[in-house]
Amino acid sequence: MQQTVVEHIDRVAEDVVALTLRAAAGELAPWEPGAHVDLSLPNWLTRQYSLCGDPADRHAYRVAVRYDPLSRGGSEYVHRFLRPGRTLPVSPPRNHFPLVAAPRYLFLAGGIGITPLLPMLRAVTAAGLPATLVYAGPSADRMPFADELRRRHGDRVRIVETGRQGRPDLAALAAGLEAGTLVYCCGPAAMLAAADAAFPAGRLHAERFQPVARTFGPDTAFEAVCARSGDTVAVPADESLLDALAHAGHPLPSGCREGVCGSCEVAVLDGVPEHRDDISGPEGRMYPCVSRALSPRLVLDL
Amino acid sequence: MTHAPTRPRRVSPEEVRARIGQPEAMVRAKVKDRIDNYFRQFIAHSPFLAMATADAAGRADCSPRGDYPGFVKVLDERTLALPDRPGNKIADSFRNLAENDGVGLCFLIPGVREVLRVNGSGYVTDEPDVLVRMRTEARKPELAIVVEVAEVYFHCGRALLRSRLWDPASRALAEEMPSMGEIAAAQFGADVDPGLLEAAVEDSYRKLY
Repeated sequence: MQQTVVEHIDRVAEDVVALTLRAAAGELAPWEPGAHVDLSLPNWLTRQYSLCGDPADRHAYRVAVRYDPLSRGGSEYVHRFLRPGRTLPVSPPRNHFPLVAAPRYLFLAGGIGITPLLPMLRAVTAAGLPATLVYAGPSADRMPFADELRRRHGDRVRIVETGRQGRPDLAALAAGLEAGTLVYCCGPAAMLAAADAAFPAGRLHAERFQPVARTFGPDTAFEAVCARSGDTVAVPADESLLDALAHAGHPLPSGCREGVCGSCEVAVLDGVPEHRDDISGPEGRMYPCVSRALSPRLVLDL
Repeated sequence: MTHAPTRPRRVSPEEVRARIGQPEAMVRAKVKDRIDNYFRQFIAHSPFLAMATADAAGRADCSPRGDYPGFVKVLDERTLALPDRPGNKIADSFRNLAENDGVGLCFLIPGVREVLRVNGSGYVTDEPDVLVRMRTEARKPELAIVVEVAEVYFHCGRALLRSRLWDPASRALAEEMPSMGEIAAAQFGADVDPGLLEAAVEDSYRKLY
């Protein structure tokens, strides 16, 4: 964990605040566009937010937090009780949504999904590459950074107020897509589903804040062997691997517990994991908050 | 030693008032009927409360509730919601609320001397929009208790100061208590190994949700 101090809390839309988190000492860990961090909030909750500031600034991170009326206590805490001056532990950045080299880009943002795309758009335009951002939200006052984007990037940015104009026509965007264009999409589930349907799979990179609704086979019991200690942990059918490990004295960090944030990543040395996450992590890794086993036994680097 | 022939004597409410005097206007004025931002901030930082209920006949019950700070949700300035976490399944509070909706809460924050008091009326709900805010460790409670607030106020810190509740040195008191395994073995009166009982207690505490 890196120690930061909350320097500014700025209201950047009706229901969104942006936090500037200054390093308490020295430099912060480097990051690239698409990365996110875990904030350890004073109410013991850990929450993931995309970094939306400037990667060249090694002394501060910036994140934006939308208030969720069905909040379990993360966004509500940030909006109501977090104050400048408070010390906030922040994890090293992780990136499940890296920018892949391409001759041109189309960025699709829905609401708070704009955050990981901000540094991407900046990096791509700084490199002199053609890029378009289509940014959808209910109304301009509920779309963070809309004015700044228009000022900075002019007609490369198309703001779509869905309350007045309806949802952006992704099929039309897909039909007009120039060769080699990569599409980066971050937004609510409905927008991701529409993007999935509109764009060829190889062209689309998407980041999710919520898990995709899918069905899996029944949960079955299996064994997890912790290679370093030699402990064998029985994972019953009604318990997650993450919880079973914690109850057996092998707690892992965890955040979303829904297979989207990647906090609980662990290396698999043997056995066949059943990946149920939305991260598509590197080979040999798994996310035990949701993922289970296809083999009766998994050997973990724990 | 001789046995007292009677119970300790009972004092009438009139006599009580005569002995302790009237509360100051300031004390009355601090009782509010709405959850303002300070009350809300206290609830958002409180990981523990005690909840009192009573049945139709007025027989009282008081039970502890705890989770991460802010586990009690403020639905609006007159309404709170408490998650029901797995416990002993006795459900005295639920049964009581069905008969008698009166409820009293004492919220604590470790390190804070004052106690937040809430009195009101309660009922049980399974409203999805309420339960979804109470998910932890990938589970959400089946039920929650909604408390409609009649009175809310800060109770002065003397009780916690006198009790030295947050003084780290007070933790030495725990060393004077036998383990729950020893107590249970003695109270059940059966021929059971206290060590095994203690291990069973520890094991049951490893799964909190």
